[in-house]
Amino acid sequence: MNTQPKGVIARLAVLDLRHEWILTLCMVLAIAAILAPLLVLLGLKHGTIQTMRDRLIEDPVNREIKPARTLRLTTQWFDEFKQRPEVEFIIPTILRGSSIVRLSSPEKRLVLDLVPTAPGDPLLLENEGIIPKEGECVLSYAAAEKLGVKKGSRLTAKITRTRNRRREYERTDLRVVAILDPRADVLDRVYMPFEFVNDVEAYREGRAVPKRDWSGGKALPPLSYDGLWVLVPQPFTSIQETILTIGTGLAEIKKLKAAQFRQLLGFSLPDNYHAYQLLARGSPIMMSSIKSVKNKLRGKSAIVLPFAQEIEIKRANGEKIKVVGLSLDESQTTDLGLPALPWGTFEASADFSKQGQILFDLPDQESIKVTAPILESEIEFPLTRRGASFGDYAIVPVELLGTLRTGQSSKILFDKTQETFLLAKAGYRGFRLYARSIDDVPILYQDFIAQDIDVITKVQEIEKVKVLDRGLTRIFWLVAIIGIAGGMAALIASLYASVERKKRDISVLRLMGLSRLEVFQFPIYQGIIIAILSVIMAIGGYALLSSIINFVFSADLKMGQKICNLPINYFVFTFIVTCLIAALSSMLAAWKTTQIDPAEAIREE
Amino acid sequence: MATKLVFELCDALKRREQGGVAFELHIPKLALYQGQFVAVVGESGCGKSTLLDLLALVSKPTTCRQFFYYEMRQTTDVKQLWENKEESALAALRRSHFGYVLQTGGLLPFLTVYQNLQLPSKINGYKNNAEILKLAKRIGIEGLLQKKPQYLSGGQRQRVAILRALAHQPKIILADEPTAAVDKTRARSIVKDFNTLAKESGTTIVMVTHDDALVAPFAEVTYTFELNEVSETLTQSKLLT
Repeated sequence: MNTQPKGVIARLAVLDLRHEWILTLCMVLAIAAILAPLLVLLGLKHGTIQTMRDRLIEDPVNREIKPARTLRLTTQWFDEFKQRPEVEFIIPTILRGSSIVRLSSPEKRLVLDLVPTAPGDPLLLENEGIIPKEGECVLSYAAAEKLGVKKGSRLTAKITRTRNRRREYERTDLRVVAILDPRADVLDRVYMPFEFVNDVEAYREGRAVPKRDWSGGKALPPLSYDGLWVLVPQPFTSIQETILTIGTGLAEIKKLKAAQFRQLLGFSLPDNYHAYQLLARGSPIMMSSIKSVKNKLRGKSAIVLPFAQEIEIKRANGEKIKVVGLSLDESQTTDLGLPALPWGTFEASADFSKQGQILFDLPDQESIKVTAPILESEIEFPLTRRGASFGDYAIVPVELLGTLRTGQSSKILFDKTQETFLLAKAGYRGFRLYARSIDDVPILYQDFIAQDIDVITKVQEIEKVKVLDRGLTRIFWLVAIIGIAGGMAALIASLYASVERKKRDISVLRLMGLSRLEVFQFPIYQGIIIAILSVIMAIGGYALLSSIINFVFSADLKMGQKICNLPINYFVFTFIVTCLIAALSSMLAAWKTTQIDPAEAIREE
Repeated sequence: MATKLVFELCDALKRREQGGVAFELHIPKLALYQGQFVAVVGESGCGKSTLLDLLALVSKPTTCRQFFYYEMRQTTDVKQLWENKEESALAALRRSHFGYVLQTGGLLPFLTVYQNLQLPSKINGYKNNAEILKLAKRIGIEGLLQKKPQYLSGGQRQRVAILRALAHQPKIILADEPTAAVDKTRARSIVKDFNTLAKESGTTIVMVTHDDALVAPFAEVTYTFELNEVSETLTQSKLLT
């Protein structure tokens, strides 16, 4: 028995279609007439959404996330955020009040916002800018227009501040290295290296910036305490006690017994004095609270002394020193029956020459190195021994404890060269962040919301595009389903009619020995061939129509943008789906061929 | 005189019924030998096409005692194939061992003459283009090879049909009134060429016709029919040698 070579049925199907080329052309045109508009519709949907997405993606402003309010963010927070895959660029920003600079060109002057930048800043790099180096700046289009400058121009920046009721300023010369595209920024802004912006902030906050030769003071840590000791000759009435907790920042008052006093301060309370402990609740008290209490006790011969709890000092060898803070003038020490203190009375001073003293039983040493716990670490500083303690514990100026108490909530450091405590930069007040893509913006937005950080994003605009995309997709599929159903019906009818017409020919093929399964393939091949020709014709039609549409809209589009556009994979998908649908549509006709009896060839004759 | 038996049908009955009227064809015995020219002569309605359906393996006999097809060393029980509904095996038999010449040729209109001639060989996986061209030249149709059947005359069409039936060298050719559409002179010429070509290839020809004079010079065996109208609803026919 011979085996039938493959391809005979397919070849017969092709030859039959070629023979009836007019009918074939009609079928191909009918299917292409459905496919081509669908492709154009899909192209319009895809092209429009893509153009909108491109515009959103292209413009880094749409990927920008900025805080809605002032924050306090650590360097560690920035380091962690930089590692996120959704983040393309992040840079800290300074307080808006500190970021004002005056720029002057030979003709004009302008007050504008100073914005930090760094390598990789997409706002600059994607808007015709470059990253400025030291002594360089990039201007927003609006700022450049108002200053009447162009790339390469020279400007002078003037940074002003008011310190000790005096107006001070510094000048620095800048070179304009780029002017941004107008879309980047509508405001008057100057972009400069982060280090410069940071220094401007320090200067405006009154600090010196030695590397720029900008004069200024030190950022000394303020004094803060957990409460006050109040020592009075006459005991308070309950009303007087209550008054001391009203409007003073102190919440609780306790009368101390003599034994408790001795336990807490390390020396005895004279018999003619009554001791009270005033405690703050929650945040520590500042100098204003101490002043307020002192005012309320005026005329009562009261000694008011702040205290800080749980301040522990350690020597370099690990020995813990229990300290009590005392700063009293001579009359006060006399009243309390104590020897005079070398550093004298309490002052709201962060002067380390006063703070760095101790009365401690260590006769062979004049200076000791100690450490004290502060926020997230320890601080090391020296103390000058001014003699032995007269109490149970070592005695230090209460101002030192005030500084160390501040160090538990704010970052402080000890500057060995200047021999002083300094307030470290309290983190960053904001940021400028660019997501890697517009799809990353909602993810980051949700994360910020989870971190309780209010941010400003273009998430709603992005969501609008997505909603539009979903809506257009639904419309497209609705039209497509109707079109495909119509096309299927047309193909089913055409192929079925074709089989009816070719009944005699198919019966001859059956008589010549083709099996039912073999003739079954005949209309399927024809359906697929028609589908292939239809897709080719539809793609041709689409190419023509899309060119016309894109030409008509070219004035509103940028170079390379298309309002009607489909990626190649859409054509591949269309091709495969159309062939599958055509094969499916030819099933009825295929079944019909199997019902044709070979005897019909003899009878028909 | 042919000697080798290629086809045998004994005690076969085919009953057809349509619109309440039945027709029965009884075949006591029909034996076909290799290279034999067999004529089946009868009037319209006597069962010629019914017989051709049975011989062409496209219609199942209603009852049958023996129905064999003999090859070189193999005997195929056609009755068994019908009973087992082995349609693919019957189709394969038709494809490789049978040739058909229909009244108007039965050529496929979407193929050229040459493609029509090649079709049986292609279906069987043969390559005998040179042989086809040689035969085409011999019967004078070489100039028609690239034409479509609708551009041929009746006689040309029948010659192409005969050549197509012979192209894959079948054992048996069944011809259903192949000269019905041509004049007598042309008909005689066609039958003569048909007989000559079949004899050369050792092919058995079964030609159904109502013109006994046309086949008389060539037929080695002639079958006729005895028609009997039993009632208004039943007509019986019997194949006679």
